[in-house]
Amino acid sequence: MRLKKVMLVFRKDWLEISRNWQVILPIVILPFIFSVLLPILVSMVPGSTGTSPENLEEITRNLPSQVKNKLVGMTNQQIMFYITTLYLFAPFFIIIPIMAPSAIASDSFAGEKERRTIEALLATPISDTEMFLGKTLVSFIPTMTVTIASFITYSAIVNLYSTTMFKWKPLLPNLTWLTMIFLLSPTVALASIGLTVMVSAKVKGVREAQQISAVLLIPIIILVIIQASGAVFIGPSMITALTGIFAAIDFLVIYLGVKMFRREEILSKLA
Amino acid sequence: MSVIEVTGLTKKFGSLVAVDHLDFEVWRGEVFGLLGPNGAGKTTTIRMLACLISPSEGSARVNGQDIVEEPLKVRETVGILTENPCLYERLTAYENLDFFAEAYGVTDPLEKRERIRELFDFFGLWERRNEKVASFSRGMKQKLAIARALVHRPPILFLDEPTAGLDPESSKEIRDLIERLSRKEKCTILLCTHRLEDAEKLANRVMIINKGRNIATGSPEQLSERITGQPVVEVKLVKLNRKVLNAVKNLSQALKVESFKDKILITVENPKSATPEIVKGIVYAGGEILTVKTLRPSLEEAYLKLVKGESS
Ligand SMILES: Nc1ncnc2c1ncn2[C@@H]1O[C@H](COP(=O)(O)OP(=O)(O)OP(=O)(O)O)[C@@H](O)[C@H]1O
Ligand SMILES: [Mg+2]
Repeated sequence: MRLKKVMLVFRKDWLEISRNWQVILPIVILPFIFSVLLPILVSMVPGSTGTSPENLEEITRNLPSQVKNKLVGMTNQQIMFYITTLYLFAPFFIIIPIMAPSAIASDSFAGEKERRTIEALLATPISDTEMFLGKTLVSFIPTMTVTIASFITYSAIVNLYSTTMFKWKPLLPNLTWLTMIFLLSPTVALASIGLTVMVSAKVKGVREAQQISAVLLIPIIILVIIQASGAVFIGPSMITALTGIFAAIDFLVIYLGVKMFRREEILSKLA
Repeated sequence: MSVIEVTGLTKKFGSLVAVDHLDFEVWRGEVFGLLGPNGAGKTTTIRMLACLISPSEGSARVNGQDIVEEPLKVRETVGILTENPCLYERLTAYENLDFFAEAYGVTDPLEKRERIRELFDFFGLWERRNEKVASFSRGMKQKLAIARALVHRPPILFLDEPTAGLDPESSKEIRDLIERLSRKEKCTILLCTHRLEDAEKLANRVMIINKGRNIATGSPEQLSERITGQPVVEVKLVKLNRKVLNAVKNLSQALKVESFKDKILITVENPKSATPEIVKGIVYAGGEILTVKTLRPSLEEAYLKLVKGESS
């Protein structure tokens, strides 16, 4: 494998994608909703997220003790804000690296088939592995960029509210969020992208790629959300452990993706 | 010396045999035409030779490399004009060539820039280099796609229907370009087409295929002769008389002589050596010549006969 060729495929694809709004828009919209609209919504209607004080007690009762200790002396509104912004919304930020790359990753090979450019690409002496990794990378980099950008935006908004409304010190970033954004999300993104690119290489069109990969990813999303919601309460160690599991999954997905990518089959199945 | 050697090459798509045990050789420096009607298996053959799809049976060596064992090396040494232009429409013409140059290993920036400039100049596209390919006409796209195939100076060039979808004027332009190219770049060209004009004007040798099978191989002249027999020299005179006719009949190279009004039709083996002898003979016998023409059965007639004969 030659890294130069991987980067070449990456650069070419990025040039194309950056001029294609249909692909760019989906990757920006979801993170925007999660990072800007969600925190604003919570802060604008304090205490009225449908959670009555009894429910609040129910939630706090099951929390791990180190989280419970932090809530001592807070008003109900403060508890609500603290728990939703720091814990309950955290899983949304794991959905970003799974969902955001869907449009780009589905387009990777299927888009070239639809636009009938794939044949010339396959004719080049770029190896199967280099091509697959280049296409994976072009989804990965923008995905991580928007994930990190959304995290920064989200932190800024949360801090703005917490410092002005409650006169607290800035809440974010904390170690749990840092491990989640910088360790867990890249591994989750890679698994999702690898799977989608694999599907994209096998099917004929982008739509098909999107639908099949969505079906494959939904159970993963659910599983990840459940795991992540638990893990954020337990803390950085648990998130790091989860990262380890996903790193293993990435390795498997990329290995299988490269192994199953047969360029000689792509044109045979095009007709 | 042969640079492409094909033995028993076969491709099956399910029960359909698209290419059926083809055997042929292409020699260094020649333009080899692969001629056949739609669905004959031309594109499939080129795709196998360019390592885009794998053969079901048989094998081939391209520039000494086996297409099954060394696909990456084969891809490096060949340039290919695919059936569709396969250009990135959102990129400019320059960006397209730049990407493919690097993909084919032309990574030295100076060398790359010079080669791209040279190709843009050759194809007359330099002025349009910074425009998106989406805005190009069919003919311009075809030129750019040929330029792309040449970007790494391949010793072997595959051209799949280079004039398909172009108007007669653009077709001629592309044909002329290919002719100049085969001289200038000195590459071996495998040209596939269903247009006889292309094969007749460009190819040194032609293989006619139908339903994946080889029907006939040879130079365009040989193929046409094989079908309709030998060439005929037609001489038109001011007035034809017995003396002239007898003089012609006595010529050693005249195999068969027929006359109509003031015209003589002489069947010969080789028009090149026979025509001067015929003209000399007629003038010597006092005949006054108006025109001399060599009548050849066209490749078209040969082709239609061969393809029809195969189908029935
Ligand atoms: N990927 C594929 N799957 C199934 N059948 C195919 C595939 N590619 C080609 N064929 C079939 O193989 C046969 C030969 O096709 P091919 O494209 O090689 O013909 P061609 O000589 O290039 O024709 P044309 O002049 O139309 O381009 C056709 O019957 C075609 O339908
Ligand atoms: Mg074809």
